[in-house]
Amino acid sequence: MQLPLNLSRAFAAALLATTAISGAAAQDFDWKAHQGETITFLANNNPWATNVLKYKDEFEALTGITLRVDTYQEQQMRQRLLTVLNAHSDEIDIFMTLPSREGRQFAAAGWYRDLKSYTQNAVSPDYDFDGFGSALVEAAVFDDVLTGVPLNIEGPILYYRKDIFEKCGLGAPSKLEDLPEISAKLKECAPDVTAFASRGLKPALPYTFSNFLHNVGGSYMKDGKSNLCSDEGKKAIGLYANLLKDYGPPGAVNYSFYQLTSLYREGRAAMSFQSSNEFPAVMEGGARLEDTALMPLPAGDGGSHPTTIGWALAVSNFSSNPDAAWYFVQWASSPEMQAKLALEGIAPPRNAVAENAGYKAWLSEQPVRQEWQTALGHLADQGTSEVGYPIIQNPESREHIGQAVDAVLLGTSTVEEACAEADKQLNALIERE
Amino acid sequence: MSASTTTQKGPLAAQLAALSMPAVLFTVAMIAFPFCYTIWLSFQSISPTGMTRFEGVGNYVRMVGDDQFWNGIYVTAYLYLLSLFLQLVLGTALALLLFRAKKLPGIIRSLFISPFMMPPVVAGMMWLVILDPSLGAANYILTSLGLPPSAWLASPGFVVPTLALIDTWQWTPYVALIVLGGLQSLPPSVYEAAEIDGASRFRIFYRITLPLLLPTLVTATVLRSVDLLRFFDLIYITTQGGPANASTTLNIYGFRTGFEFFQLGYASALMVTLSVIVLGTVLVLNRLRNTVAW
Repeated sequence: MQLPLNLSRAFAAALLATTAISGAAAQDFDWKAHQGETITFLANNNPWATNVLKYKDEFEALTGITLRVDTYQEQQMRQRLLTVLNAHSDEIDIFMTLPSREGRQFAAAGWYRDLKSYTQNAVSPDYDFDGFGSALVEAAVFDDVLTGVPLNIEGPILYYRKDIFEKCGLGAPSKLEDLPEISAKLKECAPDVTAFASRGLKPALPYTFSNFLHNVGGSYMKDGKSNLCSDEGKKAIGLYANLLKDYGPPGAVNYSFYQLTSLYREGRAAMSFQSSNEFPAVMEGGARLEDTALMPLPAGDGGSHPTTIGWALAVSNFSSNPDAAWYFVQWASSPEMQAKLALEGIAPPRNAVAENAGYKAWLSEQPVRQEWQTALGHLADQGTSEVGYPIIQNPESREHIGQAVDAVLLGTSTVEEACAEADKQLNALIERE
Repeated sequence: MSASTTTQKGPLAAQLAALSMPAVLFTVAMIAFPFCYTIWLSFQSISPTGMTRFEGVGNYVRMVGDDQFWNGIYVTAYLYLLSLFLQLVLGTALALLLFRAKKLPGIIRSLFISPFMMPPVVAGMMWLVILDPSLGAANYILTSLGLPPSAWLASPGFVVPTLALIDTWQWTPYVALIVLGGLQSLPPSVYEAAEIDGASRFRIFYRITLPLLLPTLVTATVLRSVDLLRFFDLIYITTQGGPANASTTLNIYGFRTGFEFFQLGYASALMVTLSVIVLGTVLVLNRLRNTVAW
């Protein structure tokens, strides 16, 4: 099982400490060392890539390196990546990766170049690798290999309508187990809006469900076996699925980030448990700026263990220009760049950026932005990156988790039947690995 | 045959062979090689970390005992038959309308046939918004008329008919164009004879138009069958195979197995099976076309 991020800081500290001795190397650093070379970047068409690529010309002017960019939607990007890496092709030098999803698999296949020595020996004086949150760095380390450099921090948080809560005489939820009761009151008091919304789409819901499972004290695996039918696992499945079934939007079973954002932004949901990344999209148009409050998912009987993940920038092990590729990684993840991106609503993975005066001024413009940052701080401190099973076949494990929750949500299985079927499939998957 | 003609034929044949070589090479490179490679992959076990070993017919044996495979076959067949039926019936009706309304302005004709010119991804996104159970226009209209709202793509029981309706909206004009071509080629003398004999419109359609149109309808069936059996983009955009596995066709299942779960060997076996189904269907329909030709 992946270690909770707050417990893993010591592990990452060793890696970060080694960068302290790299001062001499930094002094010799030359941005033009790879002038004339060409590198290819496979990008996911998300806000981070869109915003960073606005400055592409600056990178080329600074380094003299030609940057070719291939941009796709996330799923298509992954297909292309898989094809290229599986063929051991040098077509792609740099790619975006989600360590919580494919990190274990790609690392086991030897597809990532270990960036540890780069962070020690080939950094500009102002790069400050130590400035990254150690938890995020650790989440990108597999078998002692640093697979990528963190680009953002994200996780699901609870968006809720202060005005509706106030009208219904309700305070912010303080305990996870209170959510059904609060939702019932909201449904009665404000029947025109959906009381509680979250992801229901099978492959997408483990992102939000994992927080429920961990907060009730559950875990995906125990003693090398699937653990969904534990008391905590059954409680989490029942709680999550029944919240959506009884108080969720019609068609919740197909809900992913897109539907959640639309529903909440249109003022049709009182609570929406969705990605912190969607904050700029939810606030677009300004309709929700004044009436929304944000918080991490309330703690359950097992405490508070929010899901915290982040995209990372990796260099292909088959790149024929890894040194030039590292220059792009370094430029794109520099304190200067991340400070610029933070003002576009991309949560910074560097603690120093969160303290940056410009960023603080941006946060102070709206109370809800400050709440967003506070929630992200909690995610950084208490988070776990375990989304689905900590196995190489993590993406397939998410399918079975989603299937179990959806079976209860659709009413085709009881919690016991759904978790038993999921455990059967997942144990077979674990055994196959 | 004189000796000089024979000697001339040799270089001519060589020249023709040389001229067709690019097309042959293209076909081999773009169709034959990928297909043969997929067949080879289907006999391998490829792990998510890229380890490959020979599996023999193991992937095919696994398929027989895989509930998801049979679910994929069922959903594929259900979607295929329902969509094909709707498109042939409505396509023929639309073609008859366009054939009779000869004075229909060009812009109206263009509007009739415009849906199939829209990329399926765009159509999928558009219908996803329209059919959203909470915010979509479809339920707004239903409730405004006093009818109960529907879950549309989120209902396990209604998702396949909904997908069939979207596909029918998009591809009926295509079928109509094919049928319209067939109608325009029918011999007018047969109709004149029927009218002189006093045959009713329905009788003319049932006894003359439909039998004469059969080869055209089978051609339309062949063309739509290839697409419908490989149904993918619309499902991928709207439901990704859900809710649960209610819209997971064989193609979607194979794609997810290969590109999301990284089981390329098993996914290849699924795709080879789908290819055999498509090829078999086309062959059967082609034989049928020969029997109804006139």
